[in-house]
Amino acid sequence: MSLWRHLNKLRWVSLTIVFAMLVALPFLHLYQTYVAAHAYDLLAPDEKRLYDMMETLTSPFVSDPAEDLDNIKGNTWSGTFWGLQLSDPLAVLGQIAAGLKLYWPFFLTAIIPIILTMIFGRFFCGWICPATLLYELNSNFAAWIRWAGFKVGNRRFDPRLKYLVLAIGLVFSAITGSVLVASIYPPAIVGREIYYLIALGGFGAGAVFFAGTLLFDLLVARRGFCRYLCPGGALYSLLGHYRLVRIRRIVETCNDCAKCNVVCEFGLDPLRDNFGQECNNCTACISVCPTDAMTFILSPRDYPKQGPGHLGKKYLRGAQTGDQHDAQTMADVE
Amino acid sequence: MMERRNVLKNLIASATLLAAGGAPYGIARLLAPEVKQPKRNYLRPPGALANDVAFVKACIGCGLCGEVCPPKCILFHDNNGGGKVNTPFINPVDKACILCAKCIDVCPTEALTETPIEKVNMGLAQIDRTACYPWVDRGVCGACVSICPLGEKAIRFKKWNQYQPIVEKGCVGCGLCVEVCPHPSTPIWIVDRSEGSVAKHRV
Repeated sequence: MSLWRHLNKLRWVSLTIVFAMLVALPFLHLYQTYVAAHAYDLLAPDEKRLYDMMETLTSPFVSDPAEDLDNIKGNTWSGTFWGLQLSDPLAVLGQIAAGLKLYWPFFLTAIIPIILTMIFGRFFCGWICPATLLYELNSNFAAWIRWAGFKVGNRRFDPRLKYLVLAIGLVFSAITGSVLVASIYPPAIVGREIYYLIALGGFGAGAVFFAGTLLFDLLVARRGFCRYLCPGGALYSLLGHYRLVRIRRIVETCNDCAKCNVVCEFGLDPLRDNFGQECNNCTACISVCPTDAMTFILSPRDYPKQGPGHLGKKYLRGAQTGDQHDAQTMADVE
Repeated sequence: MMERRNVLKNLIASATLLAAGGAPYGIARLLAPEVKQPKRNYLRPPGALANDVAFVKACIGCGLCGEVCPPKCILFHDNNGGGKVNTPFINPVDKACILCAKCIDVCPTEALTETPIEKVNMGLAQIDRTACYPWVDRGVCGACVSICPLGEKAIRFKKWNQYQPIVEKGCVGCGLCVEVCPHPSTPIWIVDRSEGSVAKHRV
């Protein structure tokens, strides 16, 4: 049994941690503002409750909350960790498009994500993106209501549509002189809206758009936004075209059960060795495979086509007929 | 079944028609010459690029400046702001900037650039002398002078025993005086530097 099959659990843990951080950070910021105001007595009762709770939670780790809690700030669009600033490559590209110039210090904040994407492909989509958590839960919800007898959408579109969305988003950013891709990019929206909701007391318009994408996924196409429309996914796919870490099928132990194809959120075809640049190494296919026929390879290209799995009916039948054929030729020789 | 398909077909057709009809309008909107912006009634955070168009181009709307702001004075434009969506602003009437410069440090882009506090240019405080309590001889106040983080070189009393406030050139427009001003009509207000520190036509 390969240990890789547990990676999918780790992925859910990672997604949950990122999301939990996005929820926790605004509360911590509220706590910091209360601390900075030096006016505990003037707080409303629920504010006092928040203050006390946050103080209990953070006091073992920080001595000066107003300063020390600044070490982790932001969201996946752009954030800072103990002085290390990380930004989404799409933020950099969007800003370049909006201003039609490159600001180097900002570009450098996206270097680490870009390098990781060139190694791991669309790993952001599967492992970090806070919208992915909601989309995958939505996808599970769709499975439940389908099981209950309702009809959910499962249309297929051309996955190249998202490159068009990326291009149009950048062109519009350039025309309007504003980073508009941020308003159609779910992880940026989710990070922002959680902050708006908790710290500023209300959703912005992005929440409506995001709810729309959830409905689109539910009623039109499974994981439709990520598959067909997400501009960030498009950028990551392009960056990860020659990614080094890939998933491959071990044809010797594959029994053609096609569970990998069913579980693949991105509608890829692992059963026929079609991963391509869309694969986000989410490892769902590895964890679902009953015969452990999925593993990783280090290669800039997908493993070549291998045909039907050796434990599958198709291959076995072919092998039998092949054997008979061999036997006949042997007989002929004799 | 057939009926539903027809409804769907009609729906798609009308949506397409609507999009086709709306596209020229949208394109015209985008290509239209820029209308002169009405006067801003909000401030940008300290260190913001002087040109607001350049600021909107540089800002990616990550919200980091808001997340580090100790008084939580930085808010974000909603969609009514058009292209300004998700960019930060400060409304000094509600909550003013304390010039701590944390937002400048955390901004990943050049939208908020490193600026010494004295060089920050959020605007200039302007006083309407026909409304300010001490100026109209309706009492002693001095709230704006005592809260100013920059002291004498930004705002001072007319004379040591006369409490009429006078804004000096050193004012950077943080807006704390606006937040603290007790007069309901806020006779002190942050304006563009070119407009001067004394209101000329406010009654």
